[in-house]
Amino acid sequence: MIIEVKNLKKVYGDKTVVNIDRIQIEKGETVGLVGNNGAGKTTFFRMLLDLIRPNEGEVLSKGENVMKNGNWKDYTASFLDEGFLIDYLTPEEYFIFIGSLHDLSVADVSAYLTQYNEFFNGEILNSGKYIRDFSKGNQVKVGIAAALMQKPEILILDEPFANLDPTTQIRLKNLLKAQAGNMTTFISSHDLNHVTDVCNRIILVEKGQVIKDFKTDENTLKELESYFSA
Amino acid sequence: MLSTFLSHQRKAFWRSRNRGGSMATQILLGFFMLYFLAVALGVGFGMTVFLPKIFPNQDILRSFNGLILYYFTLDFMMRLQLQELPTLSIIPYLHLKVSKNKIINFLNIKALFSAFNIWPVFLFFPFIFIEIADIYGGFTTLMYIVSILSLTIFNNYLVLYIKRKSITNALYTVAGLLIIAAFAALEYFKVISLMKAADYVFKAVAEYPYIGFVFTLAAITIYILNSRFLLSNLYVEEMGSKKEKKVSTDYAFLNRFGKVGELAALELKLILRHKRSRSSLILGVLFLFYGFIFYKQPMIASDSFGKMMFAAIFMTGVSIIIYGQFMFAWQSGHFDGLLSNKINFKDFIKAKFLLFTIASTVMTLLSTFYGFLSPKLLLLHLVCYLYNIGFGTVIVLYLATLNYKRLDITKAASFNYQGTGATQWLLMFPYALTPILMYLPFGLLKMPYWGLAVIGIFGVIMLLLRSFWINLITAKFEKQRYKIAEGFRE
Repeated sequence: MIIEVKNLKKVYGDKTVVNIDRIQIEKGETVGLVGNNGAGKTTFFRMLLDLIRPNEGEVLSKGENVMKNGNWKDYTASFLDEGFLIDYLTPEEYFIFIGSLHDLSVADVSAYLTQYNEFFNGEILNSGKYIRDFSKGNQVKVGIAAALMQKPEILILDEPFANLDPTTQIRLKNLLKAQAGNMTTFISSHDLNHVTDVCNRIILVEKGQVIKDFKTDENTLKELESYFSA
Repeated sequence: MLSTFLSHQRKAFWRSRNRGGSMATQILLGFFMLYFLAVALGVGFGMTVFLPKIFPNQDILRSFNGLILYYFTLDFMMRLQLQELPTLSIIPYLHLKVSKNKIINFLNIKALFSAFNIWPVFLFFPFIFIEIADIYGGFTTLMYIVSILSLTIFNNYLVLYIKRKSITNALYTVAGLLIIAAFAALEYFKVISLMKAADYVFKAVAEYPYIGFVFTLAAITIYILNSRFLLSNLYVEEMGSKKEKKVSTDYAFLNRFGKVGELAALELKLILRHKRSRSSLILGVLFLFYGFIFYKQPMIASDSFGKMMFAAIFMTGVSIIIYGQFMFAWQSGHFDGLLSNKINFKDFIKAKFLLFTIASTVMTLLSTFYGFLSPKLLLLHLVCYLYNIGFGTVIVLYLATLNYKRLDITKAASFNYQGTGATQWLLMFPYALTPILMYLPFGLLKMPYWGLAVIGIFGVIMLLLRSFWINLITAKFEKQRYKIAEGFRE
């Protein structure tokens, strides 16, 4: 068990945004978080990353409370939104900066980036632009590539498929599938097709609570579709 | 339609997210405006009295005429730097069934709402009514007024036109100011006289009042040019400044500081790549001349360091004060990213100290030219420098942990008070008062150099205690980080 969420609760005013009794995630699982807008997905992710202080409960990463120390940052990479990008840097500068945090040299970083040429579709590197001048889809690509570059044990992505073009969506799915087993991935998505395709476990949330938590099989997509059309 | 646009603008102001803050700053700005208008009015009425005193051997009208040209040249340079292009607000209308002409009219009218357009009225009209009307009579007075207003409008749209064609940058402004200064110097040494030329022009207006319409014609021409340019270039991406190719940079001198240097380099890039932070940098350099206002020979002669302390603290620590007042909020756009990445909070705080120390050192070195006034000032600056890097940095960074206001640094720079709150204004009190109070008893006892020594020693002790302060601020930061992050997300 690599992540354990215990009795996690976040309240804004009189509205409970997240209220989760217990989630346990094993090493190597690919977990999809599914739910409509306002289900509390992003708030939950922010608490996983210690960006929001929960009112109650705790998040344990490898048995340690994420609020207590930053050890989890050594093996956790994430991309929730553009707020994670340092948008006045060129992509190269950003990759080198993130790399330096994990003691990767400039050479390491450029070696790593060569394998992403296809993923970047030639639009990211040496473009002569700051990240803030990129389209949203390309910004997402930078964020995801920077997250993967950290060779994390835990990867957290919030709606990674949104804003990506179809080709990149498929490439990202392949990337994530290739990592399954040795990397624990936590993604949220509104696209039921993608999420059932990539994930081997789905957690369905509504109004901050876990409604269903199950392993995916061939019927999962139908089940989810019928749940959301009801 | 125009009234609809204006009502939308009003709503945009009243319904903006941080209304409380922007209200307060608007009121404050309003006071500033009133103050400057009052000053302009005072100067306007005073001109009849002090023009003969400043230029004793010269006809008063000639001095006045000469000033007009100088004023409008200066006005032009100031506008180039400070006047903003009203652009972004029209994006939501471009794709709707609104004719382009209406949008352009709106832009043009909005551009008139600028303090720059009121000052000349306050500055020149009193003199015109008092003196010109007296000598030349009604019609000439009217034409003088028409000329002044036309020149104002001419400047207004000329600056917008130049800015839209984006053939300007800060360097041109500096160059322009230098040229004006050069002309003023030449005037002073009576080599050539711009005043004479200006007088020639305005004397013509006085004698043949219709000539004043030439200015009006020029104003109308530039207005039409501006509108035409807008009409053919009403595309959002073209209205901003031109894009140049961006390159990656590496600040080698910061590398020796390891991870801390890495973070400092990151922030240095932030400062250099945003208009708002860049302009506070320029402001800091301008403040270097603050001393010429504050330092008076009698003060220096009598060792009245207490009276000069404020200016000295401000000049050597200007970068700490101006940049530090918005501390952490500069990074509000990617604060989540900083928190969730593998960044040691202690390194994060250390990087700020490093940056402040470098900046303050540079400013102190730049301010050494005051040594020509008196070597005593160098001692004063050294003491203030020690205080700034020893304790000033601590005050700023501690207060920074209490600042939750998001700062949108991509927005324009001058007269932008978004993200300003009470903490920013309060900052100055402990910062400037601490050394002054420390000095005060020694000043009263007529032991000025002991006073300086105490402040200097205090600065050095605080500098030696830096690791203690770093730990304290880091602990505070760790406690406050959720609140800060939440505020920055809004």
